[in-house]
Amino acid sequence: MALHGVAAVDGPLSDAARRAFEDVLGPDNVIRDRARLRSYECDGLTGYRVVPALVLLPRTAEEVAAAVGVCAAHRVPFVARGAGTGLSGGALPVADGVVISLQRLRRVIEVDPVDRIAVLEPGVTNLDITRAAAPHGLYYAPDPSSQQVCTIGGNVAENSGGAHCLKYGFTTNHVLEMEVVLADGSLVTLGGPTGEQAGPDLRGVFLGSEGTLGIATKITVRLLRLPETVRTLLADFPSVAAAGDVVSDIVAGGIVPAAVEMMDTLAIEAAEAAVHAGYTLGVPAALVVELDGPAEECDSQFEQVKAICERHGCTRLHVAADAGERAAIWRGRKSAFAAVGRISPDYFVQDGVVPRTRLAEVLGRIAAMGDEVGLRVANVFHAGDGNLHPLVLYDGSAGQTDLAESLSGRIAELCVELGGSLSGEHGIGTDKACSMPAMYSDADLSVMDRVRRGFDPAGLCNPGKLLPTPRLCGERPGKWRPHPLEQSGEIERL
Amino acid sequence: MNVLSPADQAEAAAALAGSEGRVEIRGAGTARDWAGRPAPADLVLDTTAMTGVITHNPGDMTVSVLAGTPLRALNDTLAAHGQRVAFDAARVGLGATVGGLVATADTGPSALVHGSLRDLVIGTTVVLADGTRARSGGHVIKNVAGYDLSKLLHGCHGTLALVAEVVLRLHPAPAAEATVRLPCTIDGAAGAARVVLSSPTEPGALEWADGELLVRLSGTPSTAAARAERLSRLLGPPAEVLDPATAAQAWGRHAELVTGPGDTAADDPAGGPGMLRIGVRPSRLPGLLSALLGELGASGITAGLGTGVATLALPSDPATVERAHELVHRAGGTSMLRSRPPRSEAPAWGPPPSAIGVLRAIRTQLDPRGRFGGGRFSPWMEVTG
Repeated sequence: MALHGVAAVDGPLSDAARRAFEDVLGPDNVIRDRARLRSYECDGLTGYRVVPALVLLPRTAEEVAAAVGVCAAHRVPFVARGAGTGLSGGALPVADGVVISLQRLRRVIEVDPVDRIAVLEPGVTNLDITRAAAPHGLYYAPDPSSQQVCTIGGNVAENSGGAHCLKYGFTTNHVLEMEVVLADGSLVTLGGPTGEQAGPDLRGVFLGSEGTLGIATKITVRLLRLPETVRTLLADFPSVAAAGDVVSDIVAGGIVPAAVEMMDTLAIEAAEAAVHAGYTLGVPAALVVELDGPAEECDSQFEQVKAICERHGCTRLHVAADAGERAAIWRGRKSAFAAVGRISPDYFVQDGVVPRTRLAEVLGRIAAMGDEVGLRVANVFHAGDGNLHPLVLYDGSAGQTDLAESLSGRIAELCVELGGSLSGEHGIGTDKACSMPAMYSDADLSVMDRVRRGFDPAGLCNPGKLLPTPRLCGERPGKWRPHPLEQSGEIERL
Repeated sequence: MNVLSPADQAEAAAALAGSEGRVEIRGAGTARDWAGRPAPADLVLDTTAMTGVITHNPGDMTVSVLAGTPLRALNDTLAAHGQRVAFDAARVGLGATVGGLVATADTGPSALVHGSLRDLVIGTTVVLADGTRARSGGHVIKNVAGYDLSKLLHGCHGTLALVAEVVLRLHPAPAAEATVRLPCTIDGAAGAARVVLSSPTEPGALEWADGELLVRLSGTPSTAAARAERLSRLLGPPAEVLDPATAAQAWGRHAELVTGPGDTAADDPAGGPGMLRIGVRPSRLPGLLSALLGELGASGITAGLGTGVATLALPSDPATVERAHELVHRAGGTSMLRSRPPRSEAPAWGPPPSAIGVLRAIRTQLDPRGRFGGGRFSPWMEVTG
């Protein structure tokens, strides 16, 4: 199928285009040096690497528009980049194209405590939004685990969620308005100051489009009032099925928890080895349940949750007594990914979604698939919304890489088979573009492609991502490696 | 004019593939002249036979329906499972269909917490003018895989494509609701709204309805009542917690104000009022509404003081409506004329959005012959075919 993914690049970047970029941005804001260009060759999915022809460092929305205008005039493909923490190769550069870094657009333009909004440049980190709002008793709800470093611009591109998105929703539910540079270099506004729309919701189409429809240069988000009460518990169960039943009963009881997270034996083992957060070694499954809201609601529902846990044979129930104990529970949960490195020389991290009621089934199938090829799979997941992160453990030095990679890919496609999705939060990017036909028909993909052409008729904006292309799908990814910031302990992830 | 009433998406696709000319998509007819009056069409595609639940997964809290299903009927079905679509636009009570509510981007008081249908639709199947069927999303709430076509259809007003099937995220139906009422002017309401929103009581709806502020709280019978008492004390007299019958009456009045007089004023030689819907930053809403009241004789106002969305009745002569659009636009807001008397030539929209070029380009991609929705968004996006 000939989709839009690859731009008609005419060859290496011309000298005229290079000069034009320097003219609009100033020579100091264009990176040409190959050694410096190499630090932009990949995002958090380090198996794919391409060195771009140039990296551009605009300082304002107008400079972004001018740079994209040069791209349009000279038919140069461009890739926007925030903090580079993405896990699907969404910010992978294009050879002979340019990377437009938004790292210099990092002003918090406005925090309005009355209208409860913040207006941000795209390079502002997720956590800095909440830091700016906190003096007013407000916060920004979506909380991806890389929130200390990931940027709001990247969150817009991936429609990021976080542990608390079951109750509070994703980036799309919190972004009201965006100023966007389109692929022709024009600057337009999508959305508005309220949910009221003047025409189709282009804002919503742009959110989660993985940088393929333009570059957001100013983003208005809603802020929420901090909840009055937060209650958190950690509970152990004799089986994954029992823990799954607890989640079902919580939902059936009309309770929408702020977060429900599950870990299996291997994930608990890894987390405990790393941070000693007080999880029980050897139990088949542990649940973290958090409720928040007005005291009356929260307290009465928390009692119901405890009763449900006990009814399903919970072997230990630990209620966080204070903020410190709550933080410890979350530290254990959030460290699980990187901690898997302590119990296995190598691992692939997967991101898929199944309808929540099929969690026990999918875990059984994953375990069987692992047994079949002789590999262990640790599971960490957002049980409330069915978002799984199976971690396929392997030893590259023992020649298991291909086997592990194939198992990880089959797990993602199993999620689709069970009525779910290829990705819950990491995106399709470069990584899963070739799997899109497993989830969508040719007609579905061609209509998405037509939408893309409406935004970007020349195909210059982040080409090769999201939709499958013959060129891309002939290539093979390398081994997954943790992000350098993750290895150095600067970020954690779910 | 030919009218076809397909019963499912396959029949809808066949109807479109097997026909030519302009198509007006028509559901329950509760928003027929919103967003621009429909131009004469060669074919009316009536969606009211495309009804019914396709799949309801109570444990996953998702449901897929054919788009012609009235939301009220759907919610009646879901109530047996203690679930609901957390959406309460006034038109729901008039029989509006799920597809029509998506296409018109309508909202109700619960938007304060749950947003509009763009926040609740997790999957959709659309049919293009050439009969192509395309799907995006699915039955899971968390999903970053491909473009979200449902967003494109949200607010398309019958242009771009037919909404054929919709997958919705469900919420638990609250066991109990309580309403606090405070009689006040719009300016008094603005101050009270700040008190409510900065309190920890987490209201589910906050609306000023022509002389009174209404705050709805959801929970169990005891907790909702306790929070309502807490809020009532916080606001002070004359705020009071309403008994259930009075609360239902107050919210019923709110819905009637939002709907407006409809066609009852059709024979009025002066033209009768039009209904304007506006959205502006909440802090600017009281000032803007005062201007619309004072200068243009607006009446029957409802105002979401947390959402920034308001509806009002307005004399429907073109000059008045144009001026209203201008005032809203100057305040940085968005406005759309909803229903209006049949003879009114008042403009549905103010100045076009800056992204109108993208909208036209997407329309050219999806509906190159301009079959769908002639007259909508006039004069922003005139039909080319």
